[in-house]
This record gives sequence, C-alpha cells and structure tokens, in this order.
Amino acid sequence: MDIDIRHIAKLSRLKISEDELSGYEKEMASIIAMVESMPEINDELTVDSENVMELRSDDNVGSGYSRDEMLSNAPKTVAGCVVVPKTVD
Amino acid sequence: MELYEYSASELSGMLSKREISSVELTKSVLKRADDTEPKIDAYLRIDPEMSLKMAENADKLIASGEASSRLAGIPVGIKDNISTRGIPTTCASKMLENYVPVFNATVVDKLVSAGCVISGKLNMDEFAMGSSTETSYFKTTKNPFDLSCVPGGSSGGSAAAVSSGSAVVALGSDTGGSIRQPASLCGIVGLKPTYGSVSRYGLVAFASSLDQIGPFGRTVRDVALLQDEIQGRDPMDATSAQRSYTSLFDSIDGNIKGLKIGIPKEYFGKGIKPEVAKSVTDSVERLKSLGAEVMPISLPSTDYALSAYYIIACAEASSNLARFDGVKYGYRAKDCDGLIDMYEKTRSEGFGREVKRRIMLGTFVLSSGYFDAYYKKAKLLQKRIQREFADAFGSVDVIITPTSPSEAFKIGDRISDPLSMYAADICTVTVNIAGLPAVSVPCGYSSEGLPYGMQIIGRKFDEKTVLNTALAHENAFGGFRRPEL
Amino acid sequence: MIKGYEVVVGLEIHAELNTKTKIYCSCRNSFGLEVNTQVCPICLGMPGTLPTLNEKVVEYAIKMGHALNCSINRICKQDRKNYFYPDLPKSYQISQADIPLCHDGYLDVIMDGGEIKRIGVERIHIEEDAGKLLHSDKFDGSLVDFNRCGVPLIEIVSRPDMRSSAEAKAYLETVRSILKYIDISDCKMQEGSIRCDVNVSVHKPGEPFGTRCEMKNVNSFSAAVRGIDYEANRQIEILEAGGEVVQETRRWDDQKGMSVSMRSKEDAQDYRYFPEPDLLTIVVPEEKVRELKETLPELPNAKIMRYVRDFGLSHSDAAMIVDVVEKSAFFESCIAAGCKSPKLLSNWVLGEISKFMNEGTAISDTKLTPEKLSELIGLIADGKISTAAAKTVFDIIVRENRDIASIIEEKGLAQVSDQTALEAIADSVLAENEKSVSDYKAGKTNALGYLVGQCMKASKGKANPGAMKEIILKKIGG
Repeated sequence: MDIDIRHIAKLSRLKISEDELSGYEKEMASIIAMVESMPEINDELTVDSENVMELRSDDNVGSGYSRDEMLSNAPKTVAGCVVVPKTVD
Repeated sequence: MELYEYSASELSGMLSKREISSVELTKSVLKRADDTEPKIDAYLRIDPEMSLKMAENADKLIASGEASSRLAGIPVGIKDNISTRGIPTTCASKMLENYVPVFNATVVDKLVSAGCVISGKLNMDEFAMGSSTETSYFKTTKNPFDLSCVPGGSSGGSAAAVSSGSAVVALGSDTGGSIRQPASLCGIVGLKPTYGSVSRYGLVAFASSLDQIGPFGRTVRDVALLQDEIQGRDPMDATSAQRSYTSLFDSIDGNIKGLKIGIPKEYFGKGIKPEVAKSVTDSVERLKSLGAEVMPISLPSTDYALSAYYIIACAEASSNLARFDGVKYGYRAKDCDGLIDMYEKTRSEGFGREVKRRIMLGTFVLSSGYFDAYYKKAKLLQKRIQREFADAFGSVDVIITPTSPSEAFKIGDRISDPLSMYAADICTVTVNIAGLPAVSVPCGYSSEGLPYGMQIIGRKFDEKTVLNTALAHENAFGGFRRPEL
Repeated sequence: MIKGYEVVVGLEIHAELNTKTKIYCSCRNSFGLEVNTQVCPICLGMPGTLPTLNEKVVEYAIKMGHALNCSINRICKQDRKNYFYPDLPKSYQISQADIPLCHDGYLDVIMDGGEIKRIGVERIHIEEDAGKLLHSDKFDGSLVDFNRCGVPLIEIVSRPDMRSSAEAKAYLETVRSILKYIDISDCKMQEGSIRCDVNVSVHKPGEPFGTRCEMKNVNSFSAAVRGIDYEANRQIEILEAGGEVVQETRRWDDQKGMSVSMRSKEDAQDYRYFPEPDLLTIVVPEEKVRELKETLPELPNAKIMRYVRDFGLSHSDAAMIVDVVEKSAFFESCIAAGCKSPKLLSNWVLGEISKFMNEGTAISDTKLTPEKLSELIGLIADGKISTAAAKTVFDIIVRENRDIASIIEEKGLAQVSDQTALEAIADSVLAENEKSVSDYKAGKTNALGYLVGQCMKASKGKANPGAMKEIILKKIGG
C-alpha cells in the first residue's frame, strides 16, 4: 500500500525534506505491512459502559496560578499574551 | 557495605530506628552517581543541593515522629516524563529542553509528602518512544551489566540507575513494556500496575489509554513499598480507579501453595530466544516445587497484539503530541515565515525521527478513509485480547511469560530498523492492551552474564498475587545480582 | 420564496453555559477578566495534565435536550477533534462525535402571524470553547488570550427545516429564550456567549435540495438574517446565470454585508476524530435524566400560549412579556398577588416598566413590588383613580417605599365617580359653554371631547372620565 507521506506530514504539521522522504516511506510501508496482518473482525465499536467516569463538582472554583507562572514557559509574550505569527482569521 | 547498596526495605528500618540519616544515605547515593554516571548516563539531571535539602527535611520529619511513610528519607529517581515543579521535565526531547513545569505530577506530590528524596530526573527514550534509550535527544544510557549494550527502554535510565546503585528505587512509565523490558535487561524488578491504579496526572502522555506509572526496585519488596506509596484514586485523573487500595508490602509473604500458573504457548515459540524461554520454564518448575500448580493455556490473538498496540498507541500519540507547537511552552523554531511554517519547523526540529515516525503513523491510521481499517480494527482486537485474558484468568491466578525475547542487545544494533526494535515489546504489549498488572523479575543470566527476565501477569487490580508470586520466585532463585562496574 | 426558489436553512448554535467552573478544570468561567488570568495548567494544555468533566455541563445539556424534546443518550462518550490553531492549546478540542448527549428533538416556533412551524433538532452535544486571538495593525503578530479556553459549550444542530431568514430568526430567538428560561446560558451575543454557523441552500420546489454552503462568523441574529438573505441571493444568481453552486465554507463579513470563501470541500479539514482516552464513559442515571425533565420550568412557548388563553392577552403582547424573563416573572408575581386585570397589567409591564428597563434599570433595582402594582391596577380597574393619576403614583412607588393610599390622599388624586358630584360639575360646565353644546347638537361631534375635557379640568383631573362622558351625553341628548 502506498502512503502519501507528504499529505500525512502536512496533517501532522511536520516538514519532511526530500532526502528524508524515501526513508520514511520505506519504514511506514513496513509498519503498515505488519499491521495489515490483523484479522477481519465483523463487529462494531460500542461504548464501554463498564468503565464509568466520576464527574467533577462545579462548586470548587479557582486554579491558584498566576499569569506569570502560566506564561513562564512561553517562547514569546507581550502584554500578558502569547505571541504567534499573524493569523488571518 | 555502602548505604546505597541496601534495599529500600532495609534502609527504611535503619532510618526509622535512626541508625542512619537520610542525609547520609542521600550523600552515599549521590556519591555513587558521581562514580557511575560517567559510564552509565542514567540521569538527565542531578541537583545535589535540592536532594540534600529534601534529605534534611526528611530527617526532621523522621525525628519529629510524624513520618507516616516507610519511604521517608529514601532517594527515589524519577523518569523525565513525570512532571516535577521547578525542575526541568524534558521527556528526553529537544522540544522540552527548557521546559520547567509549574506543577507536580500526583505521584511526585505523594512522594514529596511522604518525605522521599528526589535523587534526580532519569533518561529515557524521547517521549517514551523506544526500547533502548537510544532515541533520547541528550544521550544513550548504558546497561550496567555491559556498557556496550542498551539498558532497554523507554525507562532505561530508571532501570540502569537502580541496577547500578545511583538510585535506591525509581519511577518509570510503561505504555508497551517500558518498565518491564528495561527491568529485565538490567536485572532488576519492575512493576507495570493495573491501568487506573496509579494517577497519570503529570505524566506527559504518550498513549493515554495504555500509559501507567510504576516502580523499579532491586527487590520485590522494594517495588511493593514504592507501589504502596503511589497507588490510589486521584480526582485529577478521570481514568483512575475508585476502589480501596491495600498495602502490598504488608500482604505478600511468598507463600504460593495452591497458586495456579498459566503458561501461554504463544509466548515461548517463534522470536523468543531458547535460552530465555528455558530460564523462564526452569523458574516455573521451581515455583511448582513450592506448591504451585502449572497448566498450559492459550492466548490465540497474541500474534496480532503488536499491530493493535502500535495502531492504538500511535493514534493517541499523534494527538497527545500535537500540543507541542511552539506556542505556549517548549521549543519554537527561529526565522519562521508565518504560522504554518512556525508549526512545521518547530515540530520538525523539536522532535526526533522515531517520534515523527509514530506521529505520522498515528495521523495516518486516524485519517479520513483509514479509520475503520486500522484504528477501529485495532480497538476490536483489543476487546478480543481482553476477553482471552479474562477467560484465561477464569482458570489460573497468574500467567507467566518471558519479559523480553532476548537479553540486552548492542547499542546501535536495532536503531535503524524500527520493526526489530518494536519486536522487543512482543511479550509486554498485550498486558497494556489488556490493562493488566505485570511484574518483571530477573530469572537467569546469559553466558556473558546479561540478565533474563520473567513476566508475571495477574488479574486486574491483583498486584498482590503478582508480587507474591514474584517474591516466591525471588526467594527461590536468589535476589539481585550486582553488576560489576 | 425568492424568484421561484425555495431557501433551505439549517443552523448550528454554540451557546456558552453559565456554570461556575470550566468544562474540564476548576478555573472560573467568567467573561471579560484581564487576559490570561483565568487559566491553569489543564486549560492551557500543559504536558501531563488531564481533563475532568464538570457534572453541571452534563446536566445543563440534558436540560436543553429535554426543552427541545430530544432523546437523551444517557450512556455516551467524548471524542477528540484534532486541528492546529494557536487558540486551541492541546491542538485538539474535546467534543462529541458519533454519540451526542441529546439527539432527534424538535422545536415549535411561533411565527409573527401566530402560525406554528416545527423545526427538527438533530443533536445537542457538549464541548470546550477555544481562546481568543487579538490582532492589531500596529503589531507584527497575533496575541493569544487563553481565558476562554475550556468554557463549556453546547452545540445545537438543527435539521435543514427552515425556509426563510425570518424562520431562522424566529428559531434563533426561541432557542435563546429557552436558554435563558432554563438558566443555562447568559446568551450575550456581544460577549460571544451565543454564536451560530449557518447552512444555506436553494432549490426549485419539487426538486431535490441544492448544494449547501456553510457560513461562519455570524455574530448576531440580525447578522444571521442578512447572511442568509445574501447567501440565498448569491446562490440564486449563480443558478440563474447557468452556473453551479460549489460546496464550501464561507465567512460572513457583516460590516461589508457579504461573505467570502474560506475553504472548499476539497480542502475540508480532516479532524481525525477518535474517542477521548483521558475520559471514561459518561453514564447518567435514569432517575437523574427524569429528574432533570421534571424540574424543567415552564418554557417560553407554553407561557405565551397560557397568557393568551388564560389572561386574554394578544399573542404579540404575551410574546413581548415572555421574551424577558424578569418581565414575565414580575407579571406572574402580580397575578399571584391578586392583580385584578391581567390586560391592564400587561399594558403596564410593556409600558412604564419596559420604559425604565430599557434604560438599564432592573425591576429589582426599584422599590416596585407586585403587591403595590396590583393594588394600583385594582384602583384603576375600579375607577378609583385615573390612568394619569396612576402614573403619578407609579413614579413615586418606583422610587420610594410608600403607601399608595397616602400618596393619593396627599396629592389629592382620588377619582370622583359619585354620580351627584359629577352631575353638578356637568351642569356648571354646560351652563358656561352653551356654544359648544349647540355645536354638538349641530353635528360637530368633537365638541363632546371639549366638554368632557372642561369637566375634567373643573374636577382638577379627579373625575372619572368614562362616567363623566356618559353624563354629558345624557344631558345634551346624544
């Protein structure tokens, strides 16, 4: 099976250079070949009603983190905001 | 005998009787790290000042009589994908080289309040993707039994540190074997707890539905001690199980009379080195002589487990690692031409090759038109595998297999062939797929002196039987064998 | 119908829920606070953090499901919708894909003429909101404010059952009204707490539906009307010119009054939905689902119909009162306090009360109580006080907590209905205005109004104008 590595890379927001391309193609193809040995199972995925989740109460409010702390790892900030290259939207 | 050589259970008694102080113990462990690190490279970060401060606090806690934990004062190494407030947590990736969490993982909070000493942050495969620590951006950890061999992975730093004495016990994480396989290759004990028994809050996610934090120790009792400390329901983790957790350390005695052991033939054939298989069957014979009952069982879908595992794990990883985009934290590429370019450059430069390969595989299996053929099928196989285990546990109490198909392999041998690397996980991934607890214990040595490991798998939340069987084996086989360094 | 084409409209409404905390973390859910101050490691998607689902979000969504006559999937799950954007910290949105919390409902919308139009509701699901990007021409880059990340949303997806922008507007208004009545959303358009995406297609009656276009960035109900009309006309023009409508996503620019193409079907995003592994199954007990249905308040449509049926209000008056929760609550409190004339009450609520509410004063900001207003309306109905005098009293009881009787006494506002007294006034006025009396008799009927007015003046406004008029008519032989 042929995988369109360029399309997948674009979806993954990865840049794959020309010289990396064939290597990835070969590796991905061999992994996919292994994976394709899986047997056919004619069944549908169902919601697992055994693993039920406990929900959080809405009553405890507050995070206790300052803005400086929350932005301390940001590569670029201005006026309490994270800066990114200009978006069109 | 130096202090770092004692087991945590022994040290616990010495500390509580105040025969030794945590500061003395921590100094001994730090000194050992000074000696071994140039050869082993287990740690990504050691901060002696911080560790000694924690040791001083532990000594005060013990002196005040308010230490409630048996681990108070004991140095614990932490895999570098577990968040530590104020201490860089890099996942061995360039992407997080300068990332300093503002919060502790729940397990770290538990250890800190127990009075444990953090001995440092341990090397691993990048984002826990790998079986050798060779995908670490920073360095490859060496196997203490043979410095030209890998320690296993992804928690290779944790296993090598405990094995070589630069940590008394350590935390790792296991998504497809990342605790058990390095434990096996480094000749120590490593437990992958039942999915949901240890909080994942603060563990940087690889595959959320498979990841589990677990303990490494040189003895079964040490592993039980650390597991006692970290297990339990956490309201911060919706997948953590609401149940009562009892002390494993107090409930294991090594008595296995009447224990029913299942031996699945699928784990002893193709791809498993005969010497490894033999050391496991010999160990099972010893358990039989201690009063266990042994019977053959079959887990027919085992052959497909690796495929199902890679699909599920990579699908989740592709989404979990999407947050590393250069916006809020971590690496951001320089000189970008617009937003998309910033994303692509950042991620291409920040992630290593194995990580990128898995992200793309995961993106592919989830992409439009392929979901049913891959992801859905893998999830259905997962259900089938879970059912097969449940059926087997209808007639046996534990299932025993090799942990790894072979002893430690040479550094560089497999790194360029992903499939041969993935094969290292062949015995362990089913356990994650099924969400079960399993421990790896040393069970033999190759002619070159490299350890073999045996995997003991139990029912969901039956860590007690798993560790009790491991203890019986440890008593019969002999304990930890120290590597010559 | 426009130029022989039928317009088909479907709407996706996103409403922010007014819970105290966010959907997946304990951060405060509030609008308008300083940038990046309502964030924590979880809603900022820091490595290793995990979501925990707020139980109120599930409850609120189920309430809305009941209000829109939906079936409830009390066993359901959440899914990840994967895409990269700077306002989405995890690079995926936790939402619901194939199993929404509520599905297959409907909403009856009362159109202006009073006819009822039933709009199908395909689904309601829960999800998290994204942050906000701030732009400035002065600055080479965009700024990200993450405060809104993780604010709980419900998405209400209608079926393509609307046939005009007017129906779409009525549907939007009814949905908004319900959200306010069941008190799960603040519905402030200007704060973006309710937003919608619009799907429009056109076709000739009897032919299959046309190709639809989705329009985003519709930020008000009036913008929705303008956008739908624009889009329908755009498509009709294409078809009339012999062209074909292409399936695409368009962006509505309300200032320019036009939409522009954002992306075509071909480069539609591949969201790679899959079940959210950090959350387990949502299971809502049957009793809880039932309890949420039973505790649902009376919904606006039912209220309007009841006001028309029980109180004899016109449909439009009833709708105007019901449109504002505080007005209808006050209206009903007055009825409960024994107000004698619901019709008069309706006039007062839509008149004087609406006047001060439009200026931004809430009823609760004033000293007005249901008991006082009911008493006042009772006096009008009994002819004890004129409407003009009642307004004087009203202005006082809005500002001061005073006894109505004492105000009437002090200001001498009591209305004279006593027959003898009125006749005496009439006699003296008629005697002084013989010219007007003869005018009236000569057929100039507006002389009557003048005469009554003179009587009112003579009584210093206290005469009952109705009774006065009758007396005059009798006396001058009308």
